[in-house]
Amino acid sequence: MSATGGKEEGKRRCPLLLRPASRTLNTSVSHGGPRGAHQRSRQTTSVLGCHSRRSFSLGGSKVLEKNVVQTPRQAVQVFDEENNDVTPQPLYQADPGAVQPMLFVDEISVGSASDQPTATGSFTLPFSRSVFGSSRISSQSTTESVDDEDMFSKRDIPLSFPDVKVKKDTEKEQVTEDMLKDITEVFISETDTFSLLDMPSSFVSVDADEAEATIARNHQYEEVCRNRVSRDKTVERSVQTLTGTTKNKHVQSNGLMVVDADVCMSTATNVTICDMCEPLSDAEQEETAGICNPVKTDHAEGVTYSSRGADRSVSVGSTATTVSASGSLKEVDVKALNAEMEWELIMLSETFQLYLQTVERSILQNSFHPQLAAYRQLPVLGDPESPVKNEIVEQRTGDTDGGPSLQCLWVFSCELSRGRSVSCMTWNRKNPDLLAVGHGEFNSGNQKPGLVSCWSIKNLKWPEHIVHCDSAVTTLDFSANSPSQLAVGTHDGSITIHNVHSQDNRSHGVSSRDSPNRHLGPVWQLRWTQQEVSSTGEEKVEALLSVGADGRISKWFSFKDGLDCIDLMKLRRIQNTETKAGGKRTEMMAESVLTALTPGLCFDFHPTDSSIYLTGTWEGLIHQCSCSNSEQFLETYRKHFCPVNCVAWSPFNPDVFLSCSSDWTIQLWKQHHLKPVLGFISAQKAVYDIKWSPKWPTVFGAVNGGQLEIWDLSSSILDPVIVQPAAPGVRMTSLLFSSQADCVVVGDSDGHVTVYQLKNLNVGEQSQVDVLEDLICSAASR
Amino acid sequence: MTEFSLLSPIQGQKGVQGIIVANSEGIPIKSTLDNSSTVQYAGLIHQLVMKARSTIRDIDPQNDLTFMRVRSKKNEIMIAPDKDFFLIVIQNPSD
Repeated sequence: MSATGGKEEGKRRCPLLLRPASRTLNTSVSHGGPRGAHQRSRQTTSVLGCHSRRSFSLGGSKVLEKNVVQTPRQAVQVFDEENNDVTPQPLYQADPGAVQPMLFVDEISVGSASDQPTATGSFTLPFSRSVFGSSRISSQSTTESVDDEDMFSKRDIPLSFPDVKVKKDTEKEQVTEDMLKDITEVFISETDTFSLLDMPSSFVSVDADEAEATIARNHQYEEVCRNRVSRDKTVERSVQTLTGTTKNKHVQSNGLMVVDADVCMSTATNVTICDMCEPLSDAEQEETAGICNPVKTDHAEGVTYSSRGADRSVSVGSTATTVSASGSLKEVDVKALNAEMEWELIMLSETFQLYLQTVERSILQNSFHPQLAAYRQLPVLGDPESPVKNEIVEQRTGDTDGGPSLQCLWVFSCELSRGRSVSCMTWNRKNPDLLAVGHGEFNSGNQKPGLVSCWSIKNLKWPEHIVHCDSAVTTLDFSANSPSQLAVGTHDGSITIHNVHSQDNRSHGVSSRDSPNRHLGPVWQLRWTQQEVSSTGEEKVEALLSVGADGRISKWFSFKDGLDCIDLMKLRRIQNTETKAGGKRTEMMAESVLTALTPGLCFDFHPTDSSIYLTGTWEGLIHQCSCSNSEQFLETYRKHFCPVNCVAWSPFNPDVFLSCSSDWTIQLWKQHHLKPVLGFISAQKAVYDIKWSPKWPTVFGAVNGGQLEIWDLSSSILDPVIVQPAAPGVRMTSLLFSSQADCVVVGDSDGHVTVYQLKNLNVGEQSQVDVLEDLICSAASR
Repeated sequence: MTEFSLLSPIQGQKGVQGIIVANSEGIPIKSTLDNSSTVQYAGLIHQLVMKARSTIRDIDPQNDLTFMRVRSKKNEIMIAPDKDFFLIVIQNPSD
């Protein structure tokens, strides 16, 4: 087809050819005269048969050889076997005529050829040579034109028409001379579809006479079909899809003009940054800004942290002023505005804050990698590349050789808490990485406002949450049921419940300040306990209990907007009268009109029976009381003659408890024994805090003003196993054991919270509880 | 909060060499390094983040990348990607 298409100009006389691809049929018309049906037919026919299923145009009646036929200009006539004239008719005829059952392909008149050059010019290319497929007319008329189509399409007939080209040239001349001057109007229109062959199948009834014959013939035909040698000469054919040309797209933007501004971090600069802090911060934050000033000698990070004390709310307007102060890039360009706006948006987004926090934790984790690994009791893998780490590794191995010792891992401290004595510490019940530290100075005359800082192991440089309190914080406790609730007791007697999760530092929790029943003196200890509801005995309701300097032990519950309490116990002053008759003591409850109450300093609940608790008083007595009995003490333990600072039940042995007092002693008691089993004294200083180790039943820690002592009863009952002196000028004030690691957390009067790791505390192999029992028995029997 | 006080807690940490905040196309918005390094880091890390993110999502389309830490001989690069921006921090922990 292509060939003919190309030549159509040359072959004016040639009968018509191409039809657009969209047509259902294509006919190619021969060029040149007939040489005979055979040769002709090949070129004349055909169909680009793929589209039509019903009919196909056939060229010659016979199978064609692959001859290329040249030339003839005469009209082509196609004859089939019976010499019927089956020459294809021109398809462009205005009146295609009715659909006829037989092929009709007519000779195309020359006259119509004139239309061709313009009309058919465009059709040439798509018609590949396959159009010149064979035109095999199978006499067996099958309506399965698919086969034929395949045949047609698969023929690959090389065509070359050299002479025709010559003619084409000559012809072309004629065209140019004559035709070009005229303006030819070309009408291209679609004609109707017409079928070139329609051989409907005929049906014969089974009952008819010819039925058998027809069936026989059908069978025979099938046989023939099966047996005939396939004339298909299938040829591989590939199709190429055209890929569009790629288009490169370049985007240009103006370059950013960047000016580097260096900031020299000298002390003078520190002051300027401080000055900048003040206008930015709220009035409430003047305190923190005020702390800036005395800290001038600190290095840069100190100053930056103090400014962090301001709220985390974004003040968009002030950005412009501080951008110039920072050492970041200065964008002078107009485009900088867009970047600024983007930056504003990013700064405001919560995810950015979160990411900053995460990144900060990661950085700190890297910086403190060995210490954190030691805390988590993970081995530190030596870095194969850096030689620096080797030192630490060697140092570590050196430690294991010595005796029991404490190794300082890190110190929690920040500007806010520096200088404020630590008064109490507590771990979060649910998240063992969270430590709440209460700061407050209550021994001295002036009452400075207190502070609660919640530290996390993941961020050793800055507390996660800070709460400012009006007066010195004396006690803290986290709730077990709702782990983000922190109850804070202060020196002025009020109890506040804060939510540690809340981002707003200024929110006040529920407070008992307005309650008429609030403590009149400092609240010395708070505890959340699971109290069983007596009726069912199964529900564990959590209640907040406190003991205060006014001698009352109260149970708090939330009431209206605050807290209210009911008294569980009043600590009456007991006057102990000893008769002179040596040994015999009679107690007389001083039931005078004015019943004096003695301040309670501490209490602790029984590990298994949460309704029994011990409380230590100012008088030096330890009372064992029950929640259900608010009138009488169950037991009274006497030994101390100075205020009892702390009592603690042993977590392993429910009968045993420890008490420490300002009379320099620590006493080990067994329940119901009114005399202590063992007493310990090591330094001549008041013991402020005492705690049992959660891991070893015979180990406990005590802190007096000057040192931290770790006692191990299995190795010695006379001396502490480890003594860690405090830094000079600093008093250690409180102590906690870590439940996750072999670590001890110590708070001191300078506001630092130091984490020590216990090393080589070679506690014996046998069950520690038994050891404790044995000790006690042996001691009691003495 | 101002940009100075937002980034300074991180910048003041031990060993932090630089902080870069880039938008989602990899164009740096804020940085504490010099221009050429910033542009280089932002461009390269942007490609890395895209690749890592597509890897995670190819394995499980419901998953997404939240944090990346690339530890090298000399330093560590921490990348926190988000759909609008990503935050890059370079630290040398042994400083």
